Amino acid sequence: MNADELDAVYTALCRAMTAVGEARAPLLLARFALLAIVEIADADRLQQLIAAAAQDLTDPTAGSGS
Amino acid sequence: MPYPFVPERFPAVLPPLGDGVDRVRHRVAIVGAGPVGYCVAIGLAVQGISSVLIEADDSVCAGSRAICISRRSLEILDRLGALPGFLSIGLPWTGGRSFYRDREVLRFTMPNDANQRLPPMLNLAQYHIEQILLERVRELADRIDLRWRTRLTALESQADGVRARLTTPLGDYTLEADWLVAADGGRSAVRESLGLALAGTSYEGRYVIVDIAMPSDRPTERLAFFDPPCNPGSTVLVHKQPQDVWRIDYQLRPDEDAEAAVQPANVLPRVESLLAMLGETADWAPIWISLYRANALTLDRYRHGRVLFAGDAAHLVPIFGVRGANSGIDDADNLAWKLAAVLQGLASERLLDTYSEERVAAARENLSYGTKSTEFMAPPSFAFEWMRTAVLGLAVRHEAVRSLINPRQTSPIAYADSSLSRVVASAPDFRAGPAPGHVLAEAPLQSIDASARAPVRHDGYLTQRLGSHFTLLHFAPDGTLPADLGGLDAEMRGLGIRWRTVVIGAGMDDATGRLWALYDAARGASYLVRPDGHVLARWRQCHANDVRLAVARVLDRVGERKGGA
Ligand SMILES: Cc1cc2nc3c(=O)[nH]c(=O)nc-3n(C[C@H](O)[C@H](O)[C@H](O)COP(=O)(O)OP(=O)(O)OC[C@H]3O[C@@H](n4cnc5c(N)ncnc54)[C@H](O)[C@@H]3O)c2cc1C
Repeated sequence: MNADELDAVYTALCRAMTAVGEARAPLLLARFALLAIVEIADADRLQQLIAAAAQDLTDPTAGSGS
Repeated sequence: MPYPFVPERFPAVLPPLGDGVDRVRHRVAIVGAGPVGYCVAIGLAVQGISSVLIEADDSVCAGSRAICISRRSLEILDRLGALPGFLSIGLPWTGGRSFYRDREVLRFTMPNDANQRLPPMLNLAQYHIEQILLERVRELADRIDLRWRTRLTALESQADGVRARLTTPLGDYTLEADWLVAADGGRSAVRESLGLALAGTSYEGRYVIVDIAMPSDRPTERLAFFDPPCNPGSTVLVHKQPQDVWRIDYQLRPDEDAEAAVQPANVLPRVESLLAMLGETADWAPIWISLYRANALTLDRYRHGRVLFAGDAAHLVPIFGVRGANSGIDDADNLAWKLAAVLQGLASERLLDTYSEERVAAARENLSYGTKSTEFMAPPSFAFEWMRTAVLGLAVRHEAVRSLINPRQTSPIAYADSSLSRVVASAPDFRAGPAPGHVLAEAPLQSIDASARAPVRHDGYLTQRLGSHFTLLHFAPDGTLPADLGGLDAEMRGLGIRWRTVVIGAGMDDATGRLWALYDAARGASYLVRPDGHVLARWRQCHANDVRLAVARVLDRVGERKGGA
């Protein structure tokens, strides 16, 4: 995947979240995460990714919109 | 504090009138002396075409507008004879840095290598840009009739020209012209008179644009701060301009009142805390404060009969990625040679439809990149906001996401799908080099002047060989043209076509040897280049008839010459 493709996928995800609205966007992200999990299908790698996603989020403001 | 630039003011002048109508019917009227109107007028003049240039104001622009001019624009300005002014004032730069809170998350560089003559980007104020172009217009005064304080108020479009209603402090009059170029900016009166509207997206996110005077030795680069300690929750951009002027842009929160936001009492503390964070200690003063909101809009067609739209009158591109003036300069460059060819009777009017075709496609590409940049810089929904927060937070440790922060600065656009890029069947056996529709890749080029008693070597670059003419680049190691191509120069010029053949080989070559590889060139290869620097066709082995046919097709005159025209 090159930078333009990453860009396009990123924008598609943003659009999909916008379309379902703020209240249901976390559910959309959860479903997307689940699909990505079964697609990646590498348990060790997935444990690392979950840890990486959680890292630095202990600061209560880090996850909020800026 | 004022800008370190005092604009000269010009009076209105009325032409000789008969019954309230300019006695001269003009071939081309250009409305709007902004960067784009100037470039159209100069481009036509260089092609030998006179025009009248109408400007509502009495001086070059004031205030904070374009500051970043791209390498591609500089190449065009060079062909217009205006490059030295830009290089002597402008600040060259190659990249920038982005920060999230107090961490650096991206370092980017724009394409730059040892083959380049010009910097990827040059910073100077729009009043500098316009002043340099104005000076060039004055050199060409016998071909450009510039009329200050003259505003177009109404336009009647006819089958063979236009009638424009103009108003000046000395009185109103009507001007007739065969063709009209609308370069009258984002609020184009021409567009309105024809009942046309831009279509696309307007963004809610607002930025305050502040120019300040401040001496500082910081290098010229693009600095972006997301959620910085000095201004939590905001996004801030910093750019250096010549003469100790700095551009600072920051995003407003959705709940901030626009009118209050541009009051110095609200602006100065934010700038002060930014400068403190940057460690700037010198005295500074504000010069200009304005509000900006991004638009991504275009007309569907840039040719409407005898009216041609260019620049902001044709499209509004977000400032993020600096494509506004740069794409307008490209419009002017594409338009000038085509309009000149039509006026000189060399090409059919249909060549101007390819102006619209190529530049609308370019605008759509610019808009798609500009939209991406805007969605990052001014997130249009909670989703873009969340995702941006995720990108910035992860970018500290995860390099793979950093490209999403890249500002996607303007880059040359290829007319790959243009009908002009298909006049010659493609030569698929090239493994490198610019395909039809692409601009030339830069490379060093040394010429040896053997006529002197001791041969003199001139160091230069390939793009300096381009001009306001078609260029046939022929590769021949011994530096001589085959007999078949030898007569083309005289033949084309005899037809009135501006033409130059350049032979790459002995006498004119690249001492480093990179040029031949860059163009995948072997003996006999040829590239035919349009007057706007885009490749029209290329051949492994080229014959004069191939070139004749390509030119006839571009000018849309196939068969006419045989038919006796
Ligand atoms: C804050 C900001 C930053 C920007 N930064 C960049 C950047 O870094 N790089 C970049 O490439 N672009 C940038 N842009 C965009 C750039 O300024 C515009 O795209 C550019 O000025 C367009 O040029 P133009 O000649 O089409 O229109 P304009 O510059 O708007 O010129 C139009 C001219 O027409 C005249 N006019 C208008 N109506 C009439 C009429 N009825 N009759 C006669 N004359 C008329 C006006 O007086 C004006 O002189 C920026 C814009 C802003 C606002």
